[in-house]
Amino acid sequence: MSRLLYQPGEVIDRSRPVGLTWNSKAIRGFEGDTIASALTANGVRIVSRSMKYHRPRGYVTNDYWDPNGFVQVGDDPNVRSAHRLVEPGMIIDAQNVWPSLDHDLKAVNGLVSRFLTAGFYYKTFMRPRKLWPAYEKVLATFAPGGKVDLDSPHHYHDKRYTHPDVVVAGGGPAGMASAAAAAEAGARVLLVEHHHHLGGHLLWGSADDRALARHLAADVAAAGVEVLTDSTVTGRYDDNWTAIVQRNHPVAVERLVKARAKVMIVAPGLIERPYVFAGNDKPGVMMSGAVRRFVNMYAVRPGTTAVVFTANADGDAAAEDLDRVGVEVARVVDARQGENIVRAHGGARSISSVELADGVKVSCDLLVTATGWTAPTTLLNMAGDRPAYDESSARFFPSRPIGTVLATGGIAGDGSADQLVEHARATGRLAAARAGAAAQRLQAATPRAVAVDGPEPDGLADTRAPLPRHPHPGLFRSSTHGIVDFSEDVGSKDLVAAAQEGYDSVELLKRYTTVTMGPAQGKLETVNAVAVLAEARGETISEVGTTVWRPPYAPITLGALGGRVFEPVRVSSIQPWHEANGATGILAGQWIRPDHYGDPAAEVRNTRRNVGIIDVTPLGKLDLRGPDVAKLLNQLYVNKWSKLAVGSVRYGLMCAEDGVVLDDGVTGRLGDQHYLMTTTSSGAGSVWEWAENWLQTEHPNWQVHVTPVTTGFTSINVAGPKSRTLMTRLVDGIDLDPEAFAYMQVRTGTIADIGGCFMWRIGFTGELSFELHVPAGHGRHVWEALLAVGDDLGIKPFGLEAQRIMRLEKGHFIVGQDTDGLTKAPATGMGQLVKLDKDDFAGKPELAWALEDAGAPVIVAIQPSDPRIVPDEAAQIVREHTDEIIGRITSSRLSPTLNRSICLGQVLPEAAAPGSELTVVLVDGRRVTARVMQHHAHFDPDGERLRG
Amino acid sequence: MRQRPTRYSAAGLIARGTRNKPWPRVWREAPLRSSYDVVVIGGGVHGLATAYYLATNHGITDVAVLDKAYLGSGGSGRNTAIVRSNYLTPEGVAFYDRSLQLYNTMATDLNINVMFSERGHLTLAHTDSALRTMHWRAEVNKLQNIDSSVIGPDEIKKLAPSLDTSDRPRYPILGALHHPPGGVIRHDAVVWGYARGADHRGVEMHQNTEVTDIEVEGGDDPDGKGSGGRVTGVRTNRGDISTPTVVNCTAGWATLIADMAGVKLPISTRPLQAAVTEPVKVFLPTVVVSGSLHVYVSQTDRGELVFGASVDPYNNYNISGSLEFTEELAGHVLELMPGISRMRLLRQWAGLCDMTPDYSPVMGFTGVEGFLCDVGWGTYGFKAGPVSGETMAEAIATGTTPEMIEPFALSRFETGSLVGEKGAAAVGH
Amino acid sequence: MLLVPCPNCGPRNAADLHYVGETGARPDPGTATPEEWRHYLYLKGNRAGLLRETWYCRSGCRRYFVLERDTTTNQFADPPLPGPEIEGKT
Repeated sequence: MSRLLYQPGEVIDRSRPVGLTWNSKAIRGFEGDTIASALTANGVRIVSRSMKYHRPRGYVTNDYWDPNGFVQVGDDPNVRSAHRLVEPGMIIDAQNVWPSLDHDLKAVNGLVSRFLTAGFYYKTFMRPRKLWPAYEKVLATFAPGGKVDLDSPHHYHDKRYTHPDVVVAGGGPAGMASAAAAAEAGARVLLVEHHHHLGGHLLWGSADDRALARHLAADVAAAGVEVLTDSTVTGRYDDNWTAIVQRNHPVAVERLVKARAKVMIVAPGLIERPYVFAGNDKPGVMMSGAVRRFVNMYAVRPGTTAVVFTANADGDAAAEDLDRVGVEVARVVDARQGENIVRAHGGARSISSVELADGVKVSCDLLVTATGWTAPTTLLNMAGDRPAYDESSARFFPSRPIGTVLATGGIAGDGSADQLVEHARATGRLAAARAGAAAQRLQAATPRAVAVDGPEPDGLADTRAPLPRHPHPGLFRSSTHGIVDFSEDVGSKDLVAAAQEGYDSVELLKRYTTVTMGPAQGKLETVNAVAVLAEARGETISEVGTTVWRPPYAPITLGALGGRVFEPVRVSSIQPWHEANGATGILAGQWIRPDHYGDPAAEVRNTRRNVGIIDVTPLGKLDLRGPDVAKLLNQLYVNKWSKLAVGSVRYGLMCAEDGVVLDDGVTGRLGDQHYLMTTTSSGAGSVWEWAENWLQTEHPNWQVHVTPVTTGFTSINVAGPKSRTLMTRLVDGIDLDPEAFAYMQVRTGTIADIGGCFMWRIGFTGELSFELHVPAGHGRHVWEALLAVGDDLGIKPFGLEAQRIMRLEKGHFIVGQDTDGLTKAPATGMGQLVKLDKDDFAGKPELAWALEDAGAPVIVAIQPSDPRIVPDEAAQIVREHTDEIIGRITSSRLSPTLNRSICLGQVLPEAAAPGSELTVVLVDGRRVTARVMQHHAHFDPDGERLRG
Repeated sequence: MRQRPTRYSAAGLIARGTRNKPWPRVWREAPLRSSYDVVVIGGGVHGLATAYYLATNHGITDVAVLDKAYLGSGGSGRNTAIVRSNYLTPEGVAFYDRSLQLYNTMATDLNINVMFSERGHLTLAHTDSALRTMHWRAEVNKLQNIDSSVIGPDEIKKLAPSLDTSDRPRYPILGALHHPPGGVIRHDAVVWGYARGADHRGVEMHQNTEVTDIEVEGGDDPDGKGSGGRVTGVRTNRGDISTPTVVNCTAGWATLIADMAGVKLPISTRPLQAAVTEPVKVFLPTVVVSGSLHVYVSQTDRGELVFGASVDPYNNYNISGSLEFTEELAGHVLELMPGISRMRLLRQWAGLCDMTPDYSPVMGFTGVEGFLCDVGWGTYGFKAGPVSGETMAEAIATGTTPEMIEPFALSRFETGSLVGEKGAAAVGH
Repeated sequence: MLLVPCPNCGPRNAADLHYVGETGARPDPGTATPEEWRHYLYLKGNRAGLLRETWYCRSGCRRYFVLERDTTTNQFADPPLPGPEIEGKT
């Protein structure tokens, strides 16, 4: 490892060496090194191969955005090696090389590069058509990037929420100064810096620069600003909803921080722009910032003999830095004097010389360019700004003032250090004032918050003296062609050719050539691409315009974004018993519930013969109270509710305003002004909101309280001929005599010593049954009591599957399974429930018309001719001897009671008459016949068992 | 007359590469004229395909395609480029199947490689009821000779090893609808191919040409627009055009354009967001969709994962995108593929979708003579582009509605006879 | 994440609310013609600009309320939130 002598700005700790592996070779760095500085200190010059031509590539920006610095670190692909800090034992490998970094056979592509111009693939591989999949496979091997280890676990990390007054994006001098000033003015400030240290470009600058950085950092600390380093503001969304990715969290791989900022300060600084010329992507060509970071922060020598092509003070400073540490500066080529470079010559490992515009060749192994800056305006774009190009400064600037998003620092202008700091401090003060006004507005918009007194605070006007803009030569491309997009291997020649072909707006150019589509997302490439296009079109950069910068500003791992999936599964209070007693669970909507306890057919037979109990807790339950409940029910359901007596229950069918069936269930009247409504399990939430919608928007004068009590009660259905005998053993205070407690009635009382239970005589199964609604905390107690006292009666629990079989035997349809998005009430066979003589109910006009319409498919019971054949749910019903679909099977089971297959289905009216013969196409393609039945109920159509 | 169009071929690439000779413009730039037989509003796949088939199938070439930005700047360039035909209703299946056929032969028909990757399409079912819908679709598909079947977790694992098919996840994978002919295609190339083909036959493409009004006379509205009227021309930011036929092929702005003619549409405009990751070596060989988890994903030949989700929860003409979209998306993708949590999201974007109440488009004639619509394409417009162009061209040329698009007539919202795609198309990619 | 000014709870994240849709008047179900009823069901204004919409404060006060929002900028008409337009007194 070769290092320079101690550098005053170095950030490495020479007392702490770190061992690493690079392409299976052991190397060493120091704590504080990036992978890039460690590799370079170990003499590594080539770190990757380019995407298309597999040309050798070295560091060019030596920061997070370096297009050539992607490596694989263990199972982590696409690691930015010029940003990621070294850790002991890190295993680092080159990506996208075949078979190795030093000998990459795909480099032969470079020999035919003139034929592989941008978009070449659109013009070939069309014939023969059959061969395209083979071509595609070859193209896919050129996919850049590292390898994903599909077995690596998703370690989720909880996200953080924060509500600062001001978020500052960027911890350079402007960011630090504005953050400190805002905090001094009383604002709560979060300062977010992309790199590992506060300071921005001051860190690799002069002694004065570093002194200023220390001074500003002290201000930040003294003002009580919260600082996140190695973190990036990745996006500014509606109302300053701010996304921040924190990469150096002590536990999480990455953490997503979400901040609702009242004001955002955008101070990301500037990104140095590459220069386009022949050979500009060869190893040894670097930008001034890259060189200065290597030398001043990491004490690494990036070359031995340098040519410096400079158009600004940063280039000049790079030349001084190199000279100071003993790198021979063979030539400074000054763009401000009209000098230019045209070509870098050299071999695979490094450049060997630079050719100047006057034809002189200067030998060197390092070419430093300092040709100008790109303003990374993503966050301003997201707030609605569209940057405008300033020709004299050769860069884009913000063009629209945005009240709660303020720009400062290099993105806003130039100036001396004092000017920049003063602008930033003024920005901080303005941000604090506007954050105060924003807080006041938010408070005023909150009805029950403490009243806001007085006018908005002073100091809201933007009185900042605008920063000057320094002239800078417009340097984009030399007289030669070179690479514009290093990640995508797109050259200026490609862009010119594409523009000539008609892809001559910046968006078309981008799409056709893929320029700016790589990992830096245009931060290095966009302005050069626009400049080349402008040149090709003979227009100015302003006329061509720029692309829209899309979020995120820096990439975020899916793990940080995804976090934990907060979608819990709901269970009833009896679930532990089910699990302990061999239940197989089924996910039904939000709930997990027992599907069966081993043998659903046996559960059916036992329930029909003796008595069974099922946990039906997921059934939606709404407690309705008030004098106008009946009006609400009349509005929601198609049938009538005005005459429902206390102690009775009634079935209701609910339709949407377009007449399509929404939900169904029974509702019982518990008291004069007290009802309990049940809904389908999946409809529990939506029916509640539907009821509230009617009450609040159409009938605000109706007095009804709607309270969801689904999970407040554990619901158990007790079904079977012996259910009454069973219940008499547990019930207090309710007369169970069939005369006193008839079918479709409800009673309140005590069950197994638990008071406040509701009990109603209804049943989806078709058996004599009692549905119990027990205060949820006592659900398991009642369940176990039922089992205990019913043992001699042959009581057994049954699951959802047995219930589905029994309901199908009884021909009850399920909303959403036997109905679909077009099924209106008359098609369910319950058209008689629709009471058009009611003044109003949801969907009334559509239902009136639907009752007249004889064309819609209807629900019928169907039995296959062969009782052993159970057509799948979804099997299609076709017109005989054709493929014309006239219906489908919506539910089907083998009935243990009837010992034959039974179905519900939808068919067109022409085939719906009882006795009609149907052709059903089974999933395996066989066609079988089936018959439409007289009644929906396959079993006990008259309901004698139920009423028993 | 124009020169014979240049053909794209490997030989051409070599010849031009050797001689350093540029390719001709993909479509010409022409001055905007004051009159055309047909004006198509919207230079996306639908508008360009309509113009292309007007010229190729019906010899109608005096056609201008107007776009307020660049060709393919709307949904055509923002979608996730998935094509398939495994719809739920017979009319939907027939329609999309024709589209898939046209996509299949497009590279040779249009002489441009649209890179159709017929890699198969999996729609995952995580619940009983979703599985039932998959079976329903499969059965309808099979009767129309569409290759479509329901497969179990073991077969799914073979087709997409990165999926977690164990019973551990919150949303276990119970099965999937497998549709081998589905796949992905290079959406921009489809736009350019139709534009180039139309250009070769004399159609004019006008970019940066925004329609500001549609001239209608004799209609019921006080300003002469609306039902009973007839189209006489359009006004644009670059001048007025007289024309007897205007076709609205826009997405996102369909209601605003229709309003100009006095035609009301059953549309709510919602952004649909999408995102892409950084590239990694290819590991996902098929298209994966999960309706319950509101996500669809495929991997490009460049190695990026392309994601989409369902439309935004409220109406919007603003496509700045949201953070919560990326959070939900990532959370759900990791439910499906927990091994990719260290992949990084690189870019998110959005496009506008015109949602209709029955998840089916509005196509064909309207109450205003000479004003036709090919709109309301929700989130599934790209896959229908070719067949929409073909049938709209036929409608314009013959003056009658082709049978294939009869179910999609605007009048169904007056008669209440909606199309039943809702169940299949909520996240139907 | 959009802030929605619930008239009861104050500004809340849009994820806390449910968007019901464009607000329209319900015709009299006793007399509505098919054209009127289906206009109510299906035909929306879908304006680019200020739109009257119904929201439901699902995770808060559970009130339904109507607000006007500009569908091109996502700004609510009233009350004024501290959106990008906040510009100070001069």
